[in-house]
Amino acid sequence: MADDVRSLSAELAGDPQSLVFVRLGELLRQRRQFDAAARVALHGLERHPHLADAHDLYARILADQRDFERAFDEWDMTLRIAPQHTGALKGLAFLYFTVGDLAQAERHLEAARAAAPDDPSLEQAFLMIRGGAPPPAARAAEVDGGAAEPVQALPEARVFAGLEGANEGLLLLDSAGLVLGGALRSPGGEDVAVAVAAYLAGVSQEATRTAKLLGLGEWRGLAAEGPGGHIYLTLPAEDAMLLVVRERAVPLGRLAMLAQRAGQAARRWLERQR
Amino acid sequence: MNAVAFGRALEQVTQVRGVRGAMLVSGQDGLVVAEQLMEGLRGPAVAALAASLSSRLSRAMGAAGLGIGQFWHLQCEGGALLVVPAASGLLVVAVADPEVNVGLVRLELLRAAEVAR
Amino acid sequence: MTAANVRAVESWTLDPLTTYVQEATARLVLLMTPAGQVLAQSGFSRAVDVMSAAALGAAIIASTTELARQLGQPPFAGLTHQGERQGIFLASFTTERGPLVALVVYDLMASSLGLVQLFFDHLVAELRAASPKAKETRQVLAADFERELNESLNSLFGR
Repeated sequence: MADDVRSLSAELAGDPQSLVFVRLGELLRQRRQFDAAARVALHGLERHPHLADAHDLYARILADQRDFERAFDEWDMTLRIAPQHTGALKGLAFLYFTVGDLAQAERHLEAARAAAPDDPSLEQAFLMIRGGAPPPAARAAEVDGGAAEPVQALPEARVFAGLEGANEGLLLLDSAGLVLGGALRSPGGEDVAVAVAAYLAGVSQEATRTAKLLGLGEWRGLAAEGPGGHIYLTLPAEDAMLLVVRERAVPLGRLAMLAQRAGQAARRWLERQR
Repeated sequence: MNAVAFGRALEQVTQVRGVRGAMLVSGQDGLVVAEQLMEGLRGPAVAALAASLSSRLSRAMGAAGLGIGQFWHLQCEGGALLVVPAASGLLVVAVADPEVNVGLVRLELLRAAEVAR
Repeated sequence: MTAANVRAVESWTLDPLTTYVQEATARLVLLMTPAGQVLAQSGFSRAVDVMSAAALGAAIIASTTELARQLGQPPFAGLTHQGERQGIFLASFTTERGPLVALVVYDLMASSLGLVQLFFDHLVAELRAASPKAKETRQVLAADFERELNESLNSLFGR
């Protein structure tokens, strides 16, 4: 394997545009040389930003490093480029399984099986989910003799499993301004979810009225910048609102993308509640 | 602050492709202070509704500890409403097409807000 | 402000006023004749407040109408005052029933002059559409006046 790494490295050095970086990155990842693997993956992504396998590779590296939020981002991007990418589908299934959302995990595995019915690893994955095996983090706690705290998926966090800031800064509300899921803290650390939710009911109603009376059509989103952070309000369902709050460093465009993903998660959760 | 300066500032906003109209609105009253609107846009309605939404949004952001809003953008299927509050209590408002370059409009609104300070 | 808070002596005013109160988020509304006879109210809880507001509103309209006349121009479209927490908007308009006056009080936190005026045009249009023909004038006897006033107050306060 060391020879493979050397020869692939040489090939990549000779031709930086080469796609050999994918194999090289995977080899380094398997050798648990995560920093080197990440550098190779990012090098490749700079030159091939629309290569699904490159995003998949980087996601796997991040997942190995337990950076699940960014891994989710990368697998999500992989699926945007290649909707039937089995690596990404399996990866997302793993992430959902990690946070205890077995239904989503199974859904993604089913999609992977539809795309690659002969993939032997899928049966094992199904067994793990259906057999009631504990999520990987919990198993790690058992191996450590209980030294690590067991992973408990918070009820609120389950609504936005796999999304960055699932515990704070994402708030799902009903049309009356009552909190359905998520949490929100002020920059000072105070829990402001209930107060903000109450105000947002009025914001949503006024946005609907404004769009209607000005002939702008249905409103899809409301983005706002403040000195303390940015917000994005959207309607994942007819009777629900979703608020995303992030610090000023996060641009509004990225906030909108995050809100779109969170909206999909919220829609699925709402459908399951009905 | 004078009518000529306001007019020039609003004209800069309307120069951005996709902007259907721009106006200065009294944030508290929801009344038109100055406007450059295309046909079909009702100034008093834009002013009143933009001010009302701005006020509610500010309260929500205040409750979240994020401070007073500096820019907001209502995205609709058939258009957009973009607002920058000025320090004087006036709002600089633009009504635009859905595919407008939001970044450019935002910049011009911020410049106009400086004039309306 | 809920629809249940709207009371009318003349029932044709009920729906337009209910819609207006909700759209403009008005705190108090009085619809009356220029002489101060109340047709409908929203948000008032005491008869004495209604009578006082109607009398004062009618007096303000009479004063400003005279002022406009002396200035040689038509009556003013509307009058506004703004306090610390509330504002008032007073305007007269014509219907087939005759000239009417609307007094609107709004909380600055919940509404604005822009909203109050924006939806006022719609209120006027709806009232004009629903309005009956003007009542024939007749001599009002003192006994009739007291009876009619009591009946009006009963209607306005849902007794």
